[in-house]
Amino acid sequence: MSDEHHGDHHPSAWGPHDWEHNPGPPHNSWAPLILSMGFGTFLFSLASIYNWGELENASYIPLALVGLAVITAGLVVWWRQDASFDGSYEPRAVGAPFKNIQIRKVAMWVFLMSEMMIFSSLFSTYMRYRLGLTPCQEVFDSGNWVEGTSVVCFEPASHLIASSWYHLAPGAINTFALITSSFTIVMALKTAKRTDLISAERSKLVTRYLGTTWLLALLFITLKMVEWFIGFPMPGFLNDGHAIQSLYEEGYLINNDAYQNHHYVDAAGAHMMADIQVSATTFYVTTGTHGVHVFAGVIGLTYMTYKAHTGGYTPDNAASIEYFGLYWHFVDLVWVLVFPFFYLY
Amino acid sequence: MSVESVLFDILWDEFVLWSAFVAAITFGWLYHHSFWYRSDEDGELPNRDGIRVGFFPKHNDDIRLEVTWTVLPFLLIVYLTYISWAPLDATWTSTENGNHNAECDYDNPGYDGSNNRIADMETGIIESDCYHIIEITGQQWSWIFDCRDLGPDLCETDFTTAEVYGTVPRLMLKEGETYLAVMESNDVTHAPWFLELATKEDVLPGQQTALWLPITEGGDSIILCAEYCGDAHSVMAGILSVHK
Amino acid sequence: MSRAALAILVVLAAMLAAPSATSVPSGVENVSQSGCGCHSGDNPNPSVTPSIEGLPETYNYSQTYELTVSFTGGPSDSSNINQGGFNLWVSDGELTVSDGTAQVNALDGSVTHTEAGNDQTSWVVIWTAPTTDRNVEFILHTNSVNGNAGGSEGSSGDMWNRLTVEVSAPVEVQEPVNPFVVLSVLIIVTAVLLAITLAYVFYRVSPDSFDWDTFAPWIAEWLTSTDHKRVGTLYFVQGLFFLVVGGIMALMIRIQLSVPGNDFLTQEQYNQFFTLHGTVMIFLAAMPLIAGFANWIVPLQIGAPDLALPRLNAMSFWLQPVSAILILTGIFSGGGADTGWTGYAPYVVSETAHVGTTMWIAGQIMLVASSTLTGINFLTTIAVMRAPGMGWMQMPLFTWSIFVANLMLFLSIPAWGVGLIQVYLDRVIGTAFYDVAAGGDPLLWSHLFWYFGHPEVYVVIVPAFGVISEVIATSSRRSVFGYRSMVYAMAGIGLVSFIVYGHHMFTSGMDPTLRFITMLTTMLVAVPTGIKIFNWLKTMHGGTLVYRTHTLWALGFLVTFTLGGISGMYFPSIAMDVHLHESYFVIAHFHYVLVGGTLFGFFAAIYYWFPKMSGRMMSEKLGTLHFLVAFVSYNAAFWPMHRLGVWGMARRHHTYFVTTDEALGALPMEAAGWNMFITVSAFIFAASTLILVVNMINTVIRGEDAPPDPWGGWSFEWMVASPPPTPSFSEIPTLMDANEHIANEPGAIARWFSRLMVAEEDIEEAMH
Repeated sequence: MSDEHHGDHHPSAWGPHDWEHNPGPPHNSWAPLILSMGFGTFLFSLASIYNWGELENASYIPLALVGLAVITAGLVVWWRQDASFDGSYEPRAVGAPFKNIQIRKVAMWVFLMSEMMIFSSLFSTYMRYRLGLTPCQEVFDSGNWVEGTSVVCFEPASHLIASSWYHLAPGAINTFALITSSFTIVMALKTAKRTDLISAERSKLVTRYLGTTWLLALLFITLKMVEWFIGFPMPGFLNDGHAIQSLYEEGYLINNDAYQNHHYVDAAGAHMMADIQVSATTFYVTTGTHGVHVFAGVIGLTYMTYKAHTGGYTPDNAASIEYFGLYWHFVDLVWVLVFPFFYLY
Repeated sequence: MSVESVLFDILWDEFVLWSAFVAAITFGWLYHHSFWYRSDEDGELPNRDGIRVGFFPKHNDDIRLEVTWTVLPFLLIVYLTYISWAPLDATWTSTENGNHNAECDYDNPGYDGSNNRIADMETGIIESDCYHIIEITGQQWSWIFDCRDLGPDLCETDFTTAEVYGTVPRLMLKEGETYLAVMESNDVTHAPWFLELATKEDVLPGQQTALWLPITEGGDSIILCAEYCGDAHSVMAGILSVHK
Repeated sequence: MSRAALAILVVLAAMLAAPSATSVPSGVENVSQSGCGCHSGDNPNPSVTPSIEGLPETYNYSQTYELTVSFTGGPSDSSNINQGGFNLWVSDGELTVSDGTAQVNALDGSVTHTEAGNDQTSWVVIWTAPTTDRNVEFILHTNSVNGNAGGSEGSSGDMWNRLTVEVSAPVEVQEPVNPFVVLSVLIIVTAVLLAITLAYVFYRVSPDSFDWDTFAPWIAEWLTSTDHKRVGTLYFVQGLFFLVVGGIMALMIRIQLSVPGNDFLTQEQYNQFFTLHGTVMIFLAAMPLIAGFANWIVPLQIGAPDLALPRLNAMSFWLQPVSAILILTGIFSGGGADTGWTGYAPYVVSETAHVGTTMWIAGQIMLVASSTLTGINFLTTIAVMRAPGMGWMQMPLFTWSIFVANLMLFLSIPAWGVGLIQVYLDRVIGTAFYDVAAGGDPLLWSHLFWYFGHPEVYVVIVPAFGVISEVIATSSRRSVFGYRSMVYAMAGIGLVSFIVYGHHMFTSGMDPTLRFITMLTTMLVAVPTGIKIFNWLKTMHGGTLVYRTHTLWALGFLVTFTLGGISGMYFPSIAMDVHLHESYFVIAHFHYVLVGGTLFGFFAAIYYWFPKMSGRMMSEKLGTLHFLVAFVSYNAAFWPMHRLGVWGMARRHHTYFVTTDEALGALPMEAAGWNMFITVSAFIFAASTLILVVNMINTVIRGEDAPPDPWGGWSFEWMVASPPPTPSFSEIPTLMDANEHIANEPGAIARWFSRLMVAEEDIEEAMH
């Protein structure tokens, strides 16, 4: 069918897409089918590996990896088609009242609407439990607890994190990393739009800006892992020789129904134990969802940096960076809400 | 009909009346137009509104009519809301000085039972002098009724057998008395549906719910579970047995 | 105001609008241990040796066995006042007693000693073996008593022990099948069958030139196409396929309910069937049917070359079959989801819910992703890709309905998606969102679910409104009456849908204030719906009603949907709802709305647009027959359910009980007869769908060629040939307006929106 219209230019469902001779997005693509099968396989095998937090069947782990590999393959096909996009075709609205609006930009804004609802729902869950359960501090102060028996109460992660500057450091650095990365992505866009540079020079600059954004996002995820799982040693003169323990080591875990904090020791030396499963769950899942968004950004940035490196961004198609930037600013904005709610207060 | 709640019957009758009225108008109109305005297969089809491909056709509207059938249904809705409003008192009346007054003071020399009665024949709302508290616990897949401190005259529980359901718990309550069931679940969500009292309320794990049971008529009736709770959900039944 | 500040405001507003739970858990009491009410101490004592004699190694169905339960050891002695006691519990079959020394415990069917049997160390119990192929477990507790119970020491010094014996079923019980193996086999079998079918179809088209070199690209074209018409066809096929699957499940349910106390299905099977019937019908049948028509028709109606993001559109589709596999996985491994389509917590995260529930949740997460992508596509397409001349208020009503439906879906489904992810994580990695013992709140799920669930039911009905508006107007040879009030009514339904969801939770223990507010708002839904019905009726006034099959379906829709709408008015009245909630009255109501509304609407759509999609005219005779049979049998099947509900027939019950005793408050005898009547009618209704399938196949093979505008509609899809070529429009058309006003001036909101969205230089560029 397409042959009649496009002469010798056979459109490929595997990419790269010939945007110049086939204006408009690809008529065929294997990516949707492959991606869907990858997602399905991954969700299926993940649910088979674990049950209620316990390793049920390790033989599914290879299948989960296959799922991830299939997803990657799908993404590669998708971007292979996109990589040749040179701005010769930017879909724009034709009719009133939005004539000339870039269609993909509208789509990105619409997408962000649903993202807002996702985070609103997560925040609702958090607020419901934060306001609904008695704070552990209050229970401890009231003295209505018995040593050896767990109390169900709400223990915000901030109680641990905000208790020391060193604990707070990864989160604080992350905040600056994300804000800076929002700046570098804007610079990447500005640079890509510059017409006063020769194209090699421009590509080099765009690659640098995108690469910096990529590095900052990676830093964010690394520090998150440090804060959650790894912890780090501190020089003795800084913190009385105590290493900064990760939340994992502190026992702040989704399945901890007998959590002990050094704050919760009364004058007689009795330890209060708290069931903090709900508190830890809301903390990890909300910040984790944000982390997944950052991770998705890292994957996107990997492709974009690569494309910039090959000289793919010109003033004609710089808009693509802008659309990603919208998403990236949104992720940044969510962090600005997550940080005070989960780390400070 | 097995339901013996006056409150339900009154509302039901009112709603059925208005449903019939609305349905009569709509269907009368529909059938009339379906026949009256059917096309003559051989004749030329008229085109009053300029229907033509690629042309947005002429507007066909009449603001007065449209406002009319916005306002009239709205008025009906307001009325139906009004008559549904009063019975809320019966559904969620307060435990302090509400329709059922306060918990019975058995030591009071003047105590002579709840003595519930239909206070208002217009709405079917029931009032009582005082009420008794019983406990209902749901668990997979049986009901546990607990009379608390009430004597066998007011409340008693045992087991009985019923066709299809097998052995089921029985709750025996006294006619003319009003009970407040304090309910909680041991595992997942359940809901006791007192068929003849035409009422139900979910039983939740981890938090208490309450349900008013004003017993006005004698006889036995079925209690079902109305919130899906797993394999044997359908046979999680009980019997309410009312004695004089 | 900067964009960021604006976005913060929007986030805050969204957070306020988002569901928030109100009830406060007040801690949970421990579930009582069902352990041994045994004497003396928590631990069994090995010096007591319980035994059961008379047990076979494998039992025979329904055979009776006489068991001797005894023990030796411990302080028991024939000189004691009492010697011992026992409790025997069995997982299957029935225990009875033969003499006065033992008794049956009514609560769990176990047998224990009576006071008379206190002075023995061995007792006789009768066990009747079950009729099912299950291994049976016996648990025996025995007390060895030193006889000082009458004295001050109570039961001290007594000892007890436990014995567990397993008896095999007559045939070897098979281990539950590994779901992975089943899944793989299914995928392979399905793929092979699909490939053979496709190969055959392709072969029939041109038998001479059939070879792999022409066949493979044809298959690949279907698997990879991003064209809206092809994706629409795929959706359409998927929707019809799952309509059949869900229909078969419904018929199984009806067979089970045709007589009281039936055992055609076990309760476990029944629970899976009604759960998957709901999920399949709503998410895999109704939504894809709608999406299929939306894909096909919306770009044609607004004069767009394709959807805004065609590859994402293909992605939306392909997520669906994969998720369907996940959703149905469990049922083939013997443990399909059994939570009801609502999947209420904490049951959905409890271990008593079948294993397939996790996969069912995973599949639905993918459906959420699919719907979100669809939403992005349609909202964007309809908002910005309309042909010149088509302002908001010149859009065909079907396009408007798809816009409103997608907006509702788009803003509500993330809440459910988050809920599903929470439940998935709870079941998989052990988070504690709905762990009641740790303070989790079951109502939170209900809020997240119904915040989505209620808009969702409007999402499936509003597109049917759009179809009916098109069909009634075209058939009457008039423009639709009150176009603007139609649009405002739809928008009103969309708005109201977000604030009424509490009426699903009138009996949930939610805050009474919230319940009262949603009662008021729910009543309001009747107003815009009423406007639409009266507008449709008025459209016929003064027109010339041309009777075609789609006209019949549209008129049938008006009857059934009006009835469904009226019965909906009974629920917001809380004093009635506490009786009707979860009864068959609810089943009747929403089947009147979803079948009589959505499905009838989309049957009309099939007859209306099938000539456009296939290029062939359908048979009016078969169509009329289909309508008559289906309309009558449909009403016969669902109307009696109203009465059953009021009588007290509960939904989601795999069996029911009718009483011959007038005095007993239970379902009366007539209920059994009505249930049989419903089952028979349901079978006729299901069979009538075959007429449609025959009609469609017949049409494709030997129907007459369809002209571009067979019915006399006005919108752009009737401008192109049937079937439309690719690309649909050789050049983008411009919409004219038969009214005198100039329609295309952007309004204030549109101007503000344009400034927000379009870069300055682009505006300048556009002006030159």
